[in-house]
This record gives sequence, C-alpha cells and structure tokens, in this order.
Amino acid sequence: MLLHLSELAPEPLHQQLSRQLRARILARELLDGELLPSIRALARDHRVSVITVQRAYEDLEREGLLVSRPGKGFFVAPQPEGQRRRVALARLRDALGPPVAAARAEGLQPSDILEVFTHVLDAEGGTQ
Amino acid sequence: MSNGGIPLALRISGLTKSFPGFQLGPFDLDLEPGRVLGFVGPNGAGKTTTFNCVAGLLRPDAGDIELLGRPSTPGDARWRDDLGHVGEVGGFYADWTTGRNLDLLASFHAAWSRRRAIDLAERFGLPLDRKVKDLSKGNQAKLALVAVLGHDPRLLLLDEPTAGLDPVVRSEVLEVLWEVLADGEHAIFYSTHIISDISRLADELVFIHDGRLLGRHATTEMAESWRRITFRLAVGETRIAGVAEHRRVRDEHQVVSFAQAETLRHLGELGADRIEHSPMTIEEIAVMILKGGSHAQTA
Repeated sequence: MLLHLSELAPEPLHQQLSRQLRARILARELLDGELLPSIRALARDHRVSVITVQRAYEDLEREGLLVSRPGKGFFVAPQPEGQRRRVALARLRDALGPPVAAARAEGLQPSDILEVFTHVLDAEGGTQ
Repeated sequence: MSNGGIPLALRISGLTKSFPGFQLGPFDLDLEPGRVLGFVGPNGAGKTTTFNCVAGLLRPDAGDIELLGRPSTPGDARWRDDLGHVGEVGGFYADWTTGRNLDLLASFHAAWSRRRAIDLAERFGLPLDRKVKDLSKGNQAKLALVAVLGHDPRLLLLDEPTAGLDPVVRSEVLEVLWEVLADGEHAIFYSTHIISDISRLADELVFIHDGRLLGRHATTEMAESWRRITFRLAVGETRIAGVAEHRRVRDEHQVVSFAQAETLRHLGELGADRIEHSPMTIEEIAVMILKGGSHAQTA
C-alpha cells in the first residue's frame, strides 16, 4: 500500500493518512475483515512517526471503519449493506456545506449552485 | 505508567543538577520502547546536561534514572549495552583509522556486531581506512553514530547527531533511525535545532527552557491544534480564546491559536467575518512554544 503523505499539504499527516485509508475502505479496495499493515510497518514505509499512524487508525476505529484486535492488529470492520454509501454521502454533505454557504453569501441562488454542480459532474464524467 | 508489563525504555524522576548560575530540574520524564521523543530548546537550556546525566557522564544532585526498568549504574556492562549516546565527546583515537577505532569498541560491548558496524559505515560512505584526525566534520559525526549503533542499544540518546551534516547525510541518518525503530523495541531521545529533521520521525516533542520542562506534546496534536487565523472584527478590545499571539490593524486581526476549535468557536460567537485559517509547521509551532505564553505552562 503506497499512500501520499506530504508535510506541505494543509492537512496534518495523520488526517492525510486516515482520509486515504477511508477512501480505500469506502471504495472496497480494502475489504471487510482485511488486515491492515502494522502501525510500525506503515510508519517506517512512509517515514512518519508511530503516533501518526496510531492516531489515523484510532480515528478510523472511532468512525467504525476499523476494528482493533489486541495482539493481532487493525482490520477493516465489516460494514452493513449500504453503509459505505451512507458514510460517503454524509462526508460529501459535510464537505459541501462551507462552499455552498460561501456561494450563498456571495449572492448565488440555489439554481446557480445546482447548475455549477451539474457542470462539475460533467467535467468528472459523472452524468453519463 | 507501565505498558502491559514492558518496562519503559527510560524513566527519569526528580532529576536535579546544579551548576553555578544554572539549575536543571527537578523534572520527571519517561519514554516507551518503540517511540521517538524530540528534545527541543535553546542552547544552554539543559539538553546536554540531561543526556549526560542519563549516560552516566554526570552525577545528578538528586533523582533516579532507570533504563529498561533497571536503575542507573553506569559501570554495569548490561546497562552500558542498552545505551547508545551520541554527544559532543569524541572519544576516538585520532591517530588510528576509523576501522581500528570501531574494532576497539567490540571489546567494550558483548553485543557488538562487526558486520553491522561495517554495513553502516558503507551505507554512510564512511572510509574505514582513514585516520580519525583526517576525517571531515561530517564523517566524524557519522563515525559517532556507527560507534553507538554497532552494539544495537535499546535506547539511543542522540544529542544533535546531525549538527554540521549536509542534507543528504542527514537524511541517510534518519533512514537508519527509521530502520532501528521498526522492531518496536528501540527508543530514541533526540535533541536538535533542526526541527524539520525530526518532525516526521518524532512521536512527541518535549520542550526545555532554562533548565525547566515547558511541556510535552504529541506532534499529531500540535499539527491539529495550532492554526494561523486572520479575520475581521469591529468590536473593541477582545481577548480571543486559545490565542498565543494577536496582531491587529483596525478591524483586521491576525492570531496564532494553540486551540483552533476553541478559537474558531469564539470567533463565531463574536461574529467575526472573513475568517481564513491555515496550518503551521511543527517548526513554527515549536518556536511559538519556546517564545512562551500561557499555553506553554499548561501541559
């Protein structure tokens, strides 16, 4: 597993790590019950401190995406049917809140915002 | 604080050491196996004195030091084997070659591995057939590291081990340290002025100023809590929650927050406008902590 971790990115390293692991879990690149690399192995491979990986794993455990078994390591927590989609949708809603509020503050109407969303989706190839 | 029965790599309690015009401590400090603790403070703050007390080169006025659960007895061979100290003391024979100096160390340490020492020397590009007095400053620093890594100690006390090294060699040193850490049994206590060198390696930083510890912070927490925030706020003199530094020009404000969630909540309540915030590097945060302020006393 190769992750992209940069100190120049605005997110702290442990959040970059948890975001990328979360994306892999939600996209089913990491499957229910799959064992993740040990904290020390991931820390060494990506040249980050042990506490950085530990924090990322613990945050994902709190979100219900990982489960730790003492002495064995961290596993992808089995997700109920539809749960990955619900988590992804909730994250999208949270992420869109601030830019939508900013757009409203700058005088755009809901119809303007919907139009922009459609454009963005087209650019992503998402509406076919 | 025990860790499931595994002894702490290092445990310092009530350490005190005085010189005319300077007092170190008293303070407590511990370090778990598998962890890296960065030691950060200005020159003369007490970092080297602390290391020298742990390494048995200085006798503390008071306090106890334990390595892997065993009390400090610097003459004890087992204790010496558990400790690797890179400090300012050279301790090499200047007229001998690098290789001969390393071979001599084998007789002091039961756990010495000649293979390991030679492998490390090769990785660092350290010439084994050159006399120590003819080595560059960088090569002397490399020799000091190879000399302590050769017996594979569980606790590394690294007192500015990369001072005077060029960026490529500094990164080679850090690569080796990551490998040393990988089995979870080694701990590193590392002082440096180049905080960016250890901001990814260190789990925590402990700050020291004028002989006193200013606090100990996980690097993850530092990266998460501290923010530079600018905003507009028209109301008069206001103390903003969680702020370490505050600049103001009319209604434009720029603050450094050590508790961004608290600060942003307070700004929301005050009705601040056009809030922009950005993270800070560990180095910037370290400077803020050392410059002092109420936040530095709390941890």
